[in-house]
Amino acid sequence: MSSQIGIGFSSHLDAEQAATEAILQAQIGLGSPNIDLIILLSTIHYDPQTVIQSIHQTIHCKKLIGCSTAGIILSESVQTRGIAILAMVSDDIHVGISSIENLDKINLEDAGKELARNILSDFGPHSRQIFLSFIDGQIADYSSLLKGLQGIFGNIFPIIGAGSSDDLRLEKTFQFYQNHTSRYSANGLILGGQINVGIGAGHGWRPLGKPRIITKTEKNIIKEIDGKKAALLYEQYFEDKALDLYSTGLNQMTILYPLGVYIEGNKEYLLRNAIQGLEDGSIICQGDVPSGAEVHIMIGNKESCRNAALEAAQEAKKNLFGKPAKLVIIIESMSRLKLLGRMAHQEIAIIKQIFGATTPLLGMYSNGEICPFESVDKFKKPLIQNESIVILAIG
Amino acid sequence: MGTLEMIILIGAFVIFSLIAGLLFAIQQLQKSQESLKKIMKSFERLDEQAKLIVKTDLELNKAQEELDKRLNGLDALQKTSRRITTTLDENEIFQRLDQSLMMNLGFEKNLILIQDKYARLQPRINIGFYEKDIAVIISHIQKNEELLKNLQEGQTFSSGNISHQRKEFINQLFNADYFILSPILTKNGLIGIIFVGNSAYSSSLTEGDEEIISILANQIGQAIENARLFEEAFRASQILETKVKERTQQLAKALEDVQNISKSKSSFISAVSHELRTPLTSIKGYASILMTGKLGDVPEEVKKRLEKINMHSDNLVQFINNLLDISRIESGRVEMNMTKCNLSIMIESVHDLLTPQLKEKNIEWQAHIDPRIPEMLLDQHQVERIFINLVSNAIKFTPQGGTISINAQMNNNAVTIEVSDTGIGIPEKDLTRLFEEFYRVENEINQNVKGTGLGLSLVRKIVQAHKGKIWVTSQVNKGTTFHFTLPIQQ
Repeated sequence: MSSQIGIGFSSHLDAEQAATEAILQAQIGLGSPNIDLIILLSTIHYDPQTVIQSIHQTIHCKKLIGCSTAGIILSESVQTRGIAILAMVSDDIHVGISSIENLDKINLEDAGKELARNILSDFGPHSRQIFLSFIDGQIADYSSLLKGLQGIFGNIFPIIGAGSSDDLRLEKTFQFYQNHTSRYSANGLILGGQINVGIGAGHGWRPLGKPRIITKTEKNIIKEIDGKKAALLYEQYFEDKALDLYSTGLNQMTILYPLGVYIEGNKEYLLRNAIQGLEDGSIICQGDVPSGAEVHIMIGNKESCRNAALEAAQEAKKNLFGKPAKLVIIIESMSRLKLLGRMAHQEIAIIKQIFGATTPLLGMYSNGEICPFESVDKFKKPLIQNESIVILAIG
Repeated sequence: MGTLEMIILIGAFVIFSLIAGLLFAIQQLQKSQESLKKIMKSFERLDEQAKLIVKTDLELNKAQEELDKRLNGLDALQKTSRRITTTLDENEIFQRLDQSLMMNLGFEKNLILIQDKYARLQPRINIGFYEKDIAVIISHIQKNEELLKNLQEGQTFSSGNISHQRKEFINQLFNADYFILSPILTKNGLIGIIFVGNSAYSSSLTEGDEEIISILANQIGQAIENARLFEEAFRASQILETKVKERTQQLAKALEDVQNISKSKSSFISAVSHELRTPLTSIKGYASILMTGKLGDVPEEVKKRLEKINMHSDNLVQFINNLLDISRIESGRVEMNMTKCNLSIMIESVHDLLTPQLKEKNIEWQAHIDPRIPEMLLDQHQVERIFINLVSNAIKFTPQGGTISINAQMNNNAVTIEVSDTGIGIPEKDLTRLFEEFYRVENEINQNVKGTGLGLSLVRKIVQAHKGKIWVTSQVNKGTTFHFTLPIQQ
């Protein structure tokens, strides 16, 4: 009974060459010609179809999922251009995968349920431990999809997720599933078997200014704050720069200064990126926002980010109950990459110190994260977050 | 007090209490409202401070982003420069301009066009452009004479510093909102261009981008110029090398011919000398016998002729011996018989030998021998011949009352000996040929005195056989000095 993990990376300019280099590197690390699972991450500089074709022409793999990303987190560096592949072969880890497409056209809650059912069907009658999902970053309403997933998995089953990202334009995000690529889709995998799973998450953003009350919402749209149009909050703080809110694509203002919603009983503020401002002054967020909740503009800095990463890593390790980590997967908001800039690798160095320098590590910069959120009722209920770092350790 | 009064009193008390309570409550409410107002004011102040913090934070973030971009750019520039300046191969320059390194300059579009030998722009680095677009870009640039003229003058264009019209032109041609277009120049003028650009969604230009791209363009230009100069120099050196090789072969052949001729000459001289010496010995022998009168009386006139035969035979033998010696030394057939010699004693014995001739011309003899000179390993007989030849020549060409001096000095591992006279001197044109065989300086004395033209040649051969060197300095009518060295081998 054993598991082998290999990680490969290439930043070659040619998509075919980069994909081939990355898969061969991963296979060498794996030490096995058979591959049970591939997690594929690619920056948007490569044609996704060429990438996936090159991989399948080079090796035979049973299951493959992945998505586009703004950057790739490796053990030794952070890369904003390249292709990374995590390859795994295991006797003791069971894997089930599935995908659902056309999320821009169908009911998202139903889509979440269908995705969950299909994955469970692929997974079979094993004990399930964790669900990991890649959701198109252009989908505005993650909450409905999550609600559908939780409808099948149960609302406290550990779910972590990443919104696929690009170069902040939110135009070119894509998902990989088996031998094809798609947009407006979500895919995921369930891991189970004789493994321990440790999850830690945090963001490090802190509230700024006076508290305000969300007085009118509709799912993921904040219509009014303190009885006035919601966008006024940004207009008051950012003056002329708040006009960016009405352009398409994420901008510096909204990802560096998200809205922080205080949820009674939660340890940390729930962060919401303002994806877009509507003409009536409403703000569209990536996840649902409860009406009547206290809201702040939030601010983060490098140190608070690093501290949050340290705490998340410690929490994930603690949840392994003494078992050493075989693999660490990091899902981290691209806003943190923007904030940390050249210092982004320092955060990774902190995580490596917790899990040990030789533990295989791979991560991506996402647009929206899903992770279990600690609350006073002791249950960790998965919620949508922004600006967060989610660390999954498998032991 | 009646019941009614009690009720009125209690009622009054209750009313009073209620009024008092109400007044107190109103007072408390007023206080709370004031507190709330204070809290609200505090919140407002807090919010104002928060706005200030956000503004500062935004500026800091922007500065940080620009700084990161600049650092990345400088890092990429430094790496790029190091790579391209350490090669002299033009193709390798562009192979070394690693495209991912170019990306680190912070631009999503990079295009480097370099002129080929027909002065047509060719893409050498391309990131973010389709080939068909590049053909259009090249065509438009080559047609735009004004742009080419500005580039030729070294002007760099950036989206932040040019006229609207030109900005539109470059913007549409390269499909980039933020850009820098810089010429790649050598001392011969424009050889290419470098373009970097970003779309509106990506980061705009930051201060210093223009300088970084200009520096990179300069370095590429210098690297290409160096590579092309090296290529030219390499080709020229190859041609030269071929010529040198051919010439060396010709010279080697000529040398071989000369050596063969010289060898033939030596063999010929050796053979002829041997053949001559045998009958000459007989001639001299018979002449001597005749002179003794053992074969009958010899009349005085005959005796005089016999003496001439004897004397000329001696000269001829001496001549043949010299020829043989030269030939032997040249061919390596004579081995120097090296023995320990005292140079001072040797010079003194030469002086003794030649004293009659010196006295005959009243020539003063001076000898200065460095006392530090140790005993030397020399072929005494041969070295004596050096001195005899040189001093005899000096006597021959020094007028009455002149001076001949010999100086011997230690110099590191050799002794330098000078034989000087105050004679008629040697014209400069003759100095280089003086040691050649059968060469005689044309002067009045030589015309009257017989000589073989082999003496100095033999001297040089002997010096060389001792691994020494010989040379001559002279001034007409002032005198001549022969310098030669002999290594000290103890």
